[in-house]
Amino acid sequence: MTYLFQILNGIGLGMLYFLLAVGLSVIFGLLQFVNFAHGAFYLLGAYFTYDLVERGVSFWVAMPVAAVLVTLIAAATEIVLLRRIYKLPHTFHILVTVGLALMIQELAIIAWGPLGGNVPAPEAFNGVIIIGNFVYPEYRLFVIVFTAILAGALWWVLEGTRVGAVVRAGSESAENTALLGYNTLRINSAVFGLGAGLAGLAGALAAPIRGVEPFMGLEALGIAFIVVVIGGMGSYTGALLAGILVGVTQSVMASLWPEGARLMIYLGMALVIVTMPRGLLGRA
Amino acid sequence: MINRRRVLQAGALAGSSLILPALGGRAFSASEAIKIGIPVPISGAFAANGKFASLGAILAAEQASKQFGRDVSTLDLDTEGKPATAVRKVQDALDSSGIKLFAGGILSSESLAMGKEALRRNGVFFTTAGADEITGSDCNAATFRWSVPTYGAIEQTVRPLIDLLPNAKKWYTITPQYVFGEGLLGVSKAIFAEKGIEHVGNSYHSLTEKEFSGYLTNAIAAAPDALLILNFGSQSSDTLRQAVSFGLKNRMTIVVAWASGLEQFEALGADICEGVYFGAQYWHGVDAPGNQALVKSVRERFNINPNYSLAGSYILTKLLIEAAVQAGSTDGDKVAAALRGKVYEGLTGEETIRAGDNQVIKDYYLMKGKAKKDMADKDDFVDIVSRGKSFLSPEAAGCKLG
Repeated sequence: MTYLFQILNGIGLGMLYFLLAVGLSVIFGLLQFVNFAHGAFYLLGAYFTYDLVERGVSFWVAMPVAAVLVTLIAAATEIVLLRRIYKLPHTFHILVTVGLALMIQELAIIAWGPLGGNVPAPEAFNGVIIIGNFVYPEYRLFVIVFTAILAGALWWVLEGTRVGAVVRAGSESAENTALLGYNTLRINSAVFGLGAGLAGLAGALAAPIRGVEPFMGLEALGIAFIVVVIGGMGSYTGALLAGILVGVTQSVMASLWPEGARLMIYLGMALVIVTMPRGLLGRA
Repeated sequence: MINRRRVLQAGALAGSSLILPALGGRAFSASEAIKIGIPVPISGAFAANGKFASLGAILAAEQASKQFGRDVSTLDLDTEGKPATAVRKVQDALDSSGIKLFAGGILSSESLAMGKEALRRNGVFFTTAGADEITGSDCNAATFRWSVPTYGAIEQTVRPLIDLLPNAKKWYTITPQYVFGEGLLGVSKAIFAEKGIEHVGNSYHSLTEKEFSGYLTNAIAAAPDALLILNFGSQSSDTLRQAVSFGLKNRMTIVVAWASGLEQFEALGADICEGVYFGAQYWHGVDAPGNQALVKSVRERFNINPNYSLAGSYILTKLLIEAAVQAGSTDGDKVAAALRGKVYEGLTGEETIRAGDNQVIKDYYLMKGKAKKDMADKDDFVDIVSRGKSFLSPEAAGCKLG
């Protein structure tokens, strides 16, 4: 029974990890751009939610508003700064985005201070579900269901719509997509903004679980990269599979070998790098 | 509106403006400057603690300047919470600024390293870090500690709670796997064994862990009467926040053995803290003349109530300055001699620096979170349940100052 709950808990974690990582994966898939500022957008989403809730705004309003704000900020950053370095080697991507992440982190400290804060779970999901001796927070169940629906919607957009087809075409060949008359610069900005916006949404959803603190972006970035590397860079379904695998591993290991819970995630990533360098579902 | 966050932002600027000419270890004249190094994490996961510590040190220096009529200043040394960085910053301060007196070190690992460096270079290092070894098996003549170590912290939280809650016969622990956590867990187990308490399980976790739901599920499966949280800082906040979301407050007593006090309660909010037991080194509501004077000064200077990080750093810096003035020197041996055996009116009442191991003998507090409706003001998060002093003798702690 304990393991069953650990698996359920792991799926909940995994869905959050997926939401966090899928934006990073899609951005890399389309732009071949390594975005080390991804965790900072997660941080911004959490803090915008915190700020709005502190001002008395309902969580149900604060969550989407935070995600939209992050999307707009990320898109503006892409237009003003990042698109100028796409053609440079990856080391420049890392340099610029790490700098951007540090700037966002320090701005968060200036705006909200170095202490963390708490975001209460919305009233409708503030309780727990009790099954026998076990309990599970209703809010975490909400996160699982909400993220699953969102994952389905995203998959449909990417695989079943004209917009998705253009994005996928752009990731295969930006030149050919441009020759077909599409404005690839605009597509890039939109995809970068939406990818970062998903990280912002993950931050907003995670805030009632984890609270907010200025260094939360670093941990999120680490998890996002693990998920993307295991799932395969640029793979949507890979990110979903890897997110759940990482979440379930982390949770089940808490029962089997608690002190090795983190270690197993990193070992799993190392194993995938050695045996399947493109990740579980990565493209050639 | 002035609030704690604004104060921290202003404090960072004030700290950087307090850099004065260096002093060597020689005797100094009555008008000469004293400079104290403040090696604390100003960046990284423990930055909030470090920034408040910086404010406390600045206040102590300002007061000493007026009291002794000489320039007294502090220099922040950002340790980033890393032992190697901490030692390098202390070495730089010794070499380039001639600073020999240091007050800081929030994490045990960095404090142990800095204490050794202070000894090697004839300095003095005064810390608030918790691991028993600092004034135990790894003690040295140059390292002093204000905080109650892990032994006393558990003795003053777990033992009184077992008496207070006679029906709590089964306890579960969540422990960070490093020297500090092992210290807390070891003392807890000894008390459990002595009192006939069943220790139904323990979950170790790493220092970087942020997700505690898996460990909490283990705790739920063990069906304890009490959950004892043995980690520190943001990790204990994360554990407690997630424990409350799992409804554990309604199923068992929750105890955070080593809470940061006010800064942690502010971050968590009253709803999470209500009904939870906290062990703490300091509380601004303590009825002691030394504390009342500090609370008044901090309110006047920063318009906030002092928290543990600020208060701890304040008292360390104040004691070092007074010892340097008394010794007429910043020479490590002379300052250490002036500190050893000192009895003074401290933040928790009368405090003594025990000569045998350089450990300050002071109270540790067991507190209980209040309901929001019962709070007299925005910082009135807890009631003090009990207080007391519990310390191993220097011999029992394994300290030989040599």
